[in-house]
Amino acid sequence: MNQAISLTKRVFAAIGLTIFTLAVVVPLLWMVLTSLKSGPEIFASPWGMPGRIHWENFTHAWETAGIAHFFLNSLIVTIATLAILLPTGAMAAYVFARYPFPGSKLLFGTFLGGMMFPQFLTIVPLFFLMNTLKIGAFSLYDTKLGLTIVYVAYSLPFTVFVLTGFFQTLPKDLDEAAMIDGAGHSKVFWRVMLPLAKPGLIVVGIFNGIGLWNEYSLALVLIPSEQNRTLPLGIANLVMVEHYQSDWGALFAGLVIVMVPVLVVYWIFRDKIHETMLAGALKG
Amino acid sequence: MRNRGRTAFIISYLAPAVILYGVFVILPVLQAVGFSLFKWSGLSSKKTYVGFDNFKQLFHDNVFWEALLHNAWIFVFGGTAILVIAIAVAHGMQGESKLTKTLRGVYLFPNIMSLVVVAILWEFVYDPHIGLVTSLVKLFGGSAKPNPLAPIQDTSILGNPTKALPAVIITFVWFAVGFYIMLFSAGIRQIPQEVAEASKLDGAEGIFRFRKITLPLLWSVGRISVIYIVINTLNVFALVYLMTQGGPDRKTEVMLTYLYEQAFVNSDYGAATALAIANFVIVMAVSGIVMGLTRKDPSGAHH
Repeated sequence: MNQAISLTKRVFAAIGLTIFTLAVVVPLLWMVLTSLKSGPEIFASPWGMPGRIHWENFTHAWETAGIAHFFLNSLIVTIATLAILLPTGAMAAYVFARYPFPGSKLLFGTFLGGMMFPQFLTIVPLFFLMNTLKIGAFSLYDTKLGLTIVYVAYSLPFTVFVLTGFFQTLPKDLDEAAMIDGAGHSKVFWRVMLPLAKPGLIVVGIFNGIGLWNEYSLALVLIPSEQNRTLPLGIANLVMVEHYQSDWGALFAGLVIVMVPVLVVYWIFRDKIHETMLAGALKG
Repeated sequence: MRNRGRTAFIISYLAPAVILYGVFVILPVLQAVGFSLFKWSGLSSKKTYVGFDNFKQLFHDNVFWEALLHNAWIFVFGGTAILVIAIAVAHGMQGESKLTKTLRGVYLFPNIMSLVVVAILWEFVYDPHIGLVTSLVKLFGGSAKPNPLAPIQDTSILGNPTKALPAVIITFVWFAVGFYIMLFSAGIRQIPQEVAEASKLDGAEGIFRFRKITLPLLWSVGRISVIYIVINTLNVFALVYLMTQGGPDRKTEVMLTYLYEQAFVNSDYGAATALAIANFVIVMAVSGIVMGLTRKDPSGAHH
């Protein structure tokens, strides 16, 4: 009797989990499948297989629809942001972890507070600030440099939070020994501590990198011109403004192009990413 | 430990982060408070101090209340669906086999993707001509063939005033639920093995074990989840903006799509900033209420 109940329950659980898994996976598979079909095939049936694989959808998306240009912009902004963010964040985190000073707790708290502000709280003042701040004759508004600086600033709270925790786990004897050997504060940081923090830097870099690659809201407000559009902005514009729906295959190919790099990176580093997400969520 | 240059080191190493964070995050936060007290339209520098007028106007703005109501629906229905699915999946899929670990990783796919991809993909899923939903309805015997003579709101899902918001909520759940499955799975992993074993010896089985042992131990994870759901449902933007732009007829308008419209379509920056502050205050207030209401664990256990 008891066994019968538990068997029925197991069957129900298995059915439920299967349905749920299908609900998650089918839209994604459909997106990939559709990106390989011709226009008429897409209209014939959403489930039908393509007669042959229409790779030309990807060339259309990449060249004709301008995805290549947006891809390059996203790559530049993401890499530039990480190149500024990681050293800047690591330097601040190292001070917070190792050099307590009057008010350091308060300053650290102010940094962490940034994780709570919704982006839209600052969006209007930020829009004007970017228009006001000038480098030479040009304002930071509608430039990749401006977007990069804003991305660094808004990624700092999480980065400083994680890296401070990381530096705190490194044994103190290491920097003390190096100091006794006569190395200055800076030398200890760059030669001893930063190399040891490499695992932490990689995790924070990947985590931020995924978020930056996907970012939409700030870019929407700060980048009006086609020339500087990032990938999410570019593909959204193709659908919403240019109504590129005449070439469905290319649109689906575009979505696949945005998604694939992120999922590949995610799958390679998924254990580390899960760990970081949980640490951020449960301790933060 | 030598102190030579300690102060100089601290200042120079904090400076880049503090300056960037101060100028681009803290300064705009402070400015937002100031902006909300001015009547200010267009790119002109003409600002008039109006005190709390922007907030009063917001209070009498029907669109704002409608938007807030939609946020509330997303929170109530989307949040409930997320919690039920996440707890059920995490509970039904315990253990660390290769399959369960892989599936948990897959469930997080939508969360890792850009919201832009999620929104556009689901716009297509709901499309009456090429979408999955229409063909599924047909599969189960419904006549979902778009009638060329019918008005647009009858054929399309996102163009239909009563179907659009539920459709957006389903997309939101699809996007978000993997994260909460991960949280609850981690919570279940933390349940000490002895507790689980002891409950088995006592004959506590199935539903009983779930309610008396698993659920209370998941209380703290549940609290955190609800807080996250509050924040994410009251701050939803890209999904709605890209799928429906708040339409049809504002039937999916949410606070932040209205904020975007006020600021960057109507150029009413004072009103937009007042809305931004109201949004922040509402998120904080609801989070605080949830924290207060859930402080006491129903089982009496302490965490």
